[in-house]
Amino acid sequence: MTFGLESVTVRYGGTTALADVSLDIPPGQVTAVVGGDGAGKSTLLRTLVGEVVVDDGSLRIPEPNEVGYLSAGGGSWKDLTVDQNVAFVGGSFGLTRAEVDHRGGLLLERAGLTEARGRLAGRLSGGMRTKLGYVLAMLHQPRLLVLDEPSTGVDPVSRVELWRLISETAAAGAAVVLSTTYLDEAERTASVLLLSQGRALLSGRPDELIARMPGSVTRVASPRRPEYAWRRGASFHEWWPDGLPAEGDQVQADLSDVSIVAELGQLTDAGSGS
Amino acid sequence: MSAVVVARGLTRRFGDFTAVDDVTFDVRPGEVVGLLGANGAGKTTTLRMLLGLLAPTSGTASLLGATPDRQTRRRLGYVPQGLGLYTELTVRQNVAFSAQAYAVPALPLEGALADASERLVRDLPLGLQRQLAFVAALQHAPEVLVLDEPTSGVEPLASARLWDRIRAEAERGAGVLVTTHSMEEARQCDRLLLMADARLVGTGSETDLVAGTSAVAVVTDAWTEAFEALTRAGELVTLDGRSVRVVDRDPAVVERVLQDAGVTARVTRVPATLEERMAALSA
Amino acid sequence: MILKEFRELRRDRRTMAMLIVLPILLLVVFGYAANFNVETIGTAALGPQAQQVADSAPEVFDVHVVDTEGDDATARAMLQDNEVDVALVTGSQPVQAYVDGSALFSAQKATAVLGQMGDRVSVDVLYNPDLTTAWVMVPSITGLILMFIGTVVTSIGLVRERENGTLEQLAVMPLRPSSVIVGKITPYFVLAALDMTIVTVLGVLLFDVPFNGNVALFALGAALFLFVVLGIGVFISTVSQTAGQSIQLAFFFLLPQILLSGMIFPLDAIPWGVRWISYLLPLTYYTNIAQGVMLRDAGLDSLWLSFLVLTGMALVVFVGAVLRFRRDLAPGRRHQHGRHERGHTDEVPEVEAA
Repeated sequence: MTFGLESVTVRYGGTTALADVSLDIPPGQVTAVVGGDGAGKSTLLRTLVGEVVVDDGSLRIPEPNEVGYLSAGGGSWKDLTVDQNVAFVGGSFGLTRAEVDHRGGLLLERAGLTEARGRLAGRLSGGMRTKLGYVLAMLHQPRLLVLDEPSTGVDPVSRVELWRLISETAAAGAAVVLSTTYLDEAERTASVLLLSQGRALLSGRPDELIARMPGSVTRVASPRRPEYAWRRGASFHEWWPDGLPAEGDQVQADLSDVSIVAELGQLTDAGSGS
Repeated sequence: MSAVVVARGLTRRFGDFTAVDDVTFDVRPGEVVGLLGANGAGKTTTLRMLLGLLAPTSGTASLLGATPDRQTRRRLGYVPQGLGLYTELTVRQNVAFSAQAYAVPALPLEGALADASERLVRDLPLGLQRQLAFVAALQHAPEVLVLDEPTSGVEPLASARLWDRIRAEAERGAGVLVTTHSMEEARQCDRLLLMADARLVGTGSETDLVAGTSAVAVVTDAWTEAFEALTRAGELVTLDGRSVRVVDRDPAVVERVLQDAGVTARVTRVPATLEERMAALSA
Repeated sequence: MILKEFRELRRDRRTMAMLIVLPILLLVVFGYAANFNVETIGTAALGPQAQQVADSAPEVFDVHVVDTEGDDATARAMLQDNEVDVALVTGSQPVQAYVDGSALFSAQKATAVLGQMGDRVSVDVLYNPDLTTAWVMVPSITGLILMFIGTVVTSIGLVRERENGTLEQLAVMPLRPSSVIVGKITPYFVLAALDMTIVTVLGVLLFDVPFNGNVALFALGAALFLFVVLGIGVFISTVSQTAGQSIQLAFFFLLPQILLSGMIFPLDAIPWGVRWISYLLPLTYYTNIAQGVMLRDAGLDSLWLSFLVLTGMALVVFVGAVLRFRRDLAPGRRHQHGRHERGHTDEVPEVEAA
């Protein structure tokens, strides 16, 4: 079964956190939700785990005990050891001692945390704590795994290991949805949703999104139209919505370029009043 | 022109733990240098020594040609990861405090910050807070800029605009040192420094750093089976869209594992990503 | 769930300490120290029949000064200087007893006992004729306020800098550590001084508490005490990561002083087994000064010991704490090779790497 959201709207008091957002989360692959701070990523994920109530639209989710959740910022108790964390979470999901030991042990080994079992969670590095959070979310073998910014602040090496764990989970048949601010990571997923201020700007496979980008992007030393340009290293990328210009080398856009173009497109739409 | 930040044989020990081991590098005026590394690699300790917050066990750290102290720090701009803003004060008050500390007149605010000048920092969205932190750190036209994860959590367009400012400073002549976990930010730098296990293991552009490490891309319809087969064989396997990547392996080896498992696939050697290189270093 | 909570609690050293130490402290205090009943009252016998009076005085009066030359003036001086709480002057009929009203419980006991002796003794209660509790409490409360602001409020204010992450920024800015410290502490100093003035004035107006003594002396005592408690506040901030922790620690410093400084239970009533603690507490000396100056117009000649102790405490505690705080701002200076030293940051130490 493909999980997801259908035209979901969420309002908090006066603000609209999500406006008419739809997303498919198929099993067996990783789906990414990207966008800056305040775009609505967290809100979207929290609707899936039942922490946020939708005002409009519908959700396709499994039973609550079939959902695994890693909240932003850790999800583990810093004053308990790794083992104690596993025991506590396992117990709260109703797993037997034997199940917790077996599955917990397996997950900890895959996450490379076996040697740290006796260590306090608060004394683990950021990457290890996130991996512990992943283990805790996976203990009860969920069909839907929801991860809120698991790689933010995590060093690149731990991110590769985390990505491996997440890949394994998807490969084993679970549906995985995660939010991230790292677009290169989003490029490695099967499907991406770009949110901006609660609205969906882009949705689809990364390679399709790149192919579908309107206009083209060139690299220039100094742009003629600064509003349509952004820094890339020592030079700029400039966007030509209506096709190739005479000067500048065209570059193969990546997801970062595509996202910026989408945001610029939003601004120009608003500006031209169309 | 002489370098603005110099580390020579920089070493720092805590008891019998070596946090930074014999690190040597320069940051020259006008360039943007990125410092990368896993947690525990020694980035933060190195930074603290360069800022004068920690004394080296041996070797030297110098800022603008002298030991980092109160005088040299007058010409330094620093934005820490936590932004260093007073959340209970307004935008204008934060700017004024910073200006006074550096003994320069406060710059007038522009754009979105000007509109928000009387708002408390804690009520601002992250992107605007970061902009404010930059303004506060740049008012005194520093010759050295040290930024800790400058665009962490900020969306692509706003992040690009922040990098506009960083580049503008570099073009003005400042030497910029950035620490980051983000590969996109790494790509914005002129030059990268890669630290692992307290040592500096590579310098140069992303291509320079990745040279010598490759990955194997596996394209097949039966990608779940391929993934399982390779994981069983103990390989470092990751997903890439709907294909599979194996880090730092000979394509022939990968092919054999897949054949033994009865999976038909096309196997090619591809360049590794920077993260994969870092993972391979730590393995 | 229960198990998890217990485990987490075990790690929280400060709360654990509070849970264990607090009941013990309260038990000891209320078991041994808490005593409104004064057993002995320091007394002087003066005048021609001093010796007879000394021999025949009721047991509660501990006559340790016998001066046949003494008279009314001597008696008043001795009371003012807090040498004794009761002075019995012979030489006229009836015997004139002077009682120090600022030593509330001793005075209550003394007047009760002397009252039973009827016409043979004329009782004159000095400094607090109606034995009003408020008159004795208000000076002590000024001490309480100084202590509260000095430790709790100051430490929270300083720790907030650490919590916010701005302490690091301050360390990097071209600010002299001394200016940062002065800048951070001065508002609290001013606030405490202002608060104390208000309470004293209100006490005088609302409860008619007299202010018989030298204002400058009072201010000096208050300032010295303030330095001590500010020092404690700064020290607490250097060993706390969060405001919650600093409040807990401040509580540890506050509670014993409230109970054992003579503010609630009279010092004279606290047995020596516990009273030695009182003499280590700064509030004890401040209370002595405050009550002495406000009620008895006592001078430096009788209060010099309290002033000396407070000065010493202020020097040690305040200077020590400031040096410690300075280390957070400029730790680069005093590094010794090979010595195990962690930087004062609130990030997870990089020692525990993946």
